Amino acid sequence: MILLEPHNYIIQTTLIDKLAKPTSLDVQFVDFDGVRFHLSTPERKTSLLLSMSIRCWNELVQYGVHDVLKREYGAMVRAQPESDYNVSLDVDLEQFPPEGEERDTFIKNIALLKRHALAAPFELAFKAQKQLESSGSGQGEIMAMHYRDEEAIYIQASPDRVTVIFSTVFREETDRIFGKVFLQEFVDARRLPTIQSAPQVLYTTHEPPLEIRHVPGLVDSDDVGYVTFVLFPRHFAQAAVAASTISHIQLFRDYLHYHIKCSKAYMHSRMRFRVSEFQKVLNRAKTEVAVVDRKTASGRSMR
Amino acid sequence: MSYLAPIICDNGTGFSKVGYAGNSDPSFVFPTAIATRGPASQPTRSGPAVPSKPGHLASKRGVEDLDFFIGDEALANAKTPGYGVNYPIRHGQIENWDYMERYWEQTIFKYLRAEPEDHYFLLTEPPLNPPENREQTAEIFFESFNIKGLYIAVQAVLALAASWSSNRVTDRTLTGTVIDSGDGVTHVIPCAEGYVIGSAIKHIPIAGRDISQFVLNLMRERGEMANVPPEDHLKIAGKVKENYSYVCQDIVKEFRKYDAEPYKFFERYEGENSVTGRSYGVDVGYERFLAPEIFFNPEIYSSDFLTPLPEIVDGVIQQSPIDVRRGLYKNIVLSGGSTMFQHFGQRLKRDLKQIVDRRLEAVAVASGSQQKSSGVEVDVISHKRQRYAVWFGGSLMASLPEFYNFCHTKAQYDEVGPSICRRYQIFGSAT
Amino acid sequence: MSNTLRPYLAAVRSTLTAALTLEDFASQIVERHNKPEVEVGTSKEVLLNPLMISRNENEKVLIEPSINSIRLSIKIKQADEIERILCHKFTRFMMQRAENFVVLRRKPVKGYDISFLITNNHTNTMLKHKIVDFIIQFMEEVDKEISEMKLSLNARARVVAESYLLAFSS
Repeated sequence: MILLEPHNYIIQTTLIDKLAKPTSLDVQFVDFDGVRFHLSTPERKTSLLLSMSIRCWNELVQYGVHDVLKREYGAMVRAQPESDYNVSLDVDLEQFPPEGEERDTFIKNIALLKRHALAAPFELAFKAQKQLESSGSGQGEIMAMHYRDEEAIYIQASPDRVTVIFSTVFREETDRIFGKVFLQEFVDARRLPTIQSAPQVLYTTHEPPLEIRHVPGLVDSDDVGYVTFVLFPRHFAQAAVAASTISHIQLFRDYLHYHIKCSKAYMHSRMRFRVSEFQKVLNRAKTEVAVVDRKTASGRSMR
Repeated sequence: MSYLAPIICDNGTGFSKVGYAGNSDPSFVFPTAIATRGPASQPTRSGPAVPSKPGHLASKRGVEDLDFFIGDEALANAKTPGYGVNYPIRHGQIENWDYMERYWEQTIFKYLRAEPEDHYFLLTEPPLNPPENREQTAEIFFESFNIKGLYIAVQAVLALAASWSSNRVTDRTLTGTVIDSGDGVTHVIPCAEGYVIGSAIKHIPIAGRDISQFVLNLMRERGEMANVPPEDHLKIAGKVKENYSYVCQDIVKEFRKYDAEPYKFFERYEGENSVTGRSYGVDVGYERFLAPEIFFNPEIYSSDFLTPLPEIVDGVIQQSPIDVRRGLYKNIVLSGGSTMFQHFGQRLKRDLKQIVDRRLEAVAVASGSQQKSSGVEVDVISHKRQRYAVWFGGSLMASLPEFYNFCHTKAQYDEVGPSICRRYQIFGSAT
Repeated sequence: MSNTLRPYLAAVRSTLTAALTLEDFASQIVERHNKPEVEVGTSKEVLLNPLMISRNENEKVLIEPSINSIRLSIKIKQADEIERILCHKFTRFMMQRAENFVVLRRKPVKGYDISFLITNNHTNTMLKHKIVDFIIQFMEEVDKEISEMKLSLNARARVVAESYLLAFSS
């Protein structure tokens, strides 16, 4: 598994299970970046309530998350979300499309709740870019999403592009160094002819990029790095391409950290192997202790 | 809410149970299997994905180790050419750390979708797990995954904690005898105040797999399986065991009952051939009550293991220190799928009570004293969460606010190193 | 093997072989104690002159002999911070398993990355030249292993970055 998938596996499997056999249910679980879910059956076994809490909800509201969710889920969105959560969906098992592809897409779409919520500012930025392009000048406003305690995404539309900036913090020395190696490769990868059309990636440590330098509340320390993705219209001109771009770029941080961890796991397995090799070499030095076969009077060996 | 729910990982020999604390069931239950490129499990530990000679360029691309599947997907891919299925856990203990590390990696990122840096973890270990294994586990979780905090609990203790959910349990004690019967092996484990009495543990080589086999034998002898495709035999035996079996109080009476009114007690199992789609049916008869009987009369199934379960339990408790025996008799807790038979608890309690009472009587006669013993209370606790009792116990514990105080945190790990996990902090004790 | 490495290892090998002439020696300070004198350092007269062999300022070996024990500390080449962290991880991983490596010290001597402590007990139960072989082989392979790990890290990073960016253009 190299790429992470955008939909939530637990929602998907639970819905499939419950469609086959509805039972009462009350589970809480999480997704990347501190998103919490609560799936329950408050009234009937066939009517599920899926609630989500997301850290930067207030910011998302400003960027039109309600419209996006309304478009994706229509009447399923509850006007009044469950307390402690930001958004609730009523999922009625009896109103699912008949079995087949249609149902699978429907389930998948519900499992994409987090993705859709986080997509709002991206869609807004893509729209803003179109307007700016026709007017020919100006800059869109900077939209900030503080999706984690210490990290944020900034999005800005310009007449010819949309800039997405991730601020990253590595909590541990090893992660910081591994992260640097990875990010450097992100910057360099575009030289390859096959991925010329990919967005341009820039990476700076310490100093925030020009676009967001005036934004208040930026932490100024050595641990902070900034990753800038420059999306050109070809990445979001068509609706389908735009959708996949959004799903993909959202998971950038998780993708990066997933691979840092995988590399460490790989290093571990290498080291385990190497250490056992050294062990063999050292064991060769040990002199064989001669085993004298001691026998009892009756001729049985003593062990 | 300052913390996200802790993650509970119960990795067993056969199945792994993983999910978030606070729920009553694990989010995922799948086989502890990993399908990797290359040949299937070699007994020797050679380094996978590591070039044997330094300077070898084979690993330069360096992502071959991401090409693997776990759980049900692993078994589904077992037939794919180039993949081999491995089981990293043997007899409850982790054998292959490389596979296990990758197994956890995918559990967390693909299935749970959690950022391990934000979570506390509760892992389980079998009784008598060597501390080195605990250190290795801590090393993986803290160094590879950077988790916030870790608590490693003994499975038996968690099973005891799970019994707190039963309304028959009034005091929340961590003293009791755990009968843990899964697919491969059955353990009887005495615990005193949250500590496992290692010297008294007993293993019984009869568990779920044997019961299925026994059911199958019985049905074959009666000729029920004639029109069933052979590859489905074991599966059907398993289904029969799970859906129709129960523990009876007296075999002879039960046989008579069945013979008098076969139509009332015989059940019919309908199945469908997975290849041809033809449907077939089998009658389910005496195996309904004979299947779990092999715990109480093992001689009907095996010829080399002959001690009934109640006697084993009694022996285990008699081997434990004298001052905890009463507590052990009073709180016998069941855990694992093979203890799910109806009336299993009642039968065990009755048989055990008989053994204990007989001994008390013998003692009274032998000593010839006039004083009469006040008797020993014997109780077997069954509850709804028995199947995933260990996981559920973990979920209960980890959702308590004190849980965080008992974890080893990342900061402590960085300070002390993996040996910090040698210290085993009993839950509920003073810090 | 590069030109400077061979004489470097040869020097270590011959020095170590010469230094590994250990005998049983009871503590002069505490009765009935028998400690590695190089570690306790209380009896100056049984300590021999420490010796340093260095290939360059980043790679050196310190050998501290005494009557009944010898301590050998290695500083491993670390060109940049990636190698530094990999080296740190590797030595830590190994020292974590010092129990199995009887001659390995759990902590390195200050200023070095990894230390070995060989006592007369070890030379009694193990073949002396094989112990030397082990140390030399360790020195040879640890450099290779670290640079290989670094290469594979870079390769991984490249694959990871490519597959992420490739998904945009598809």
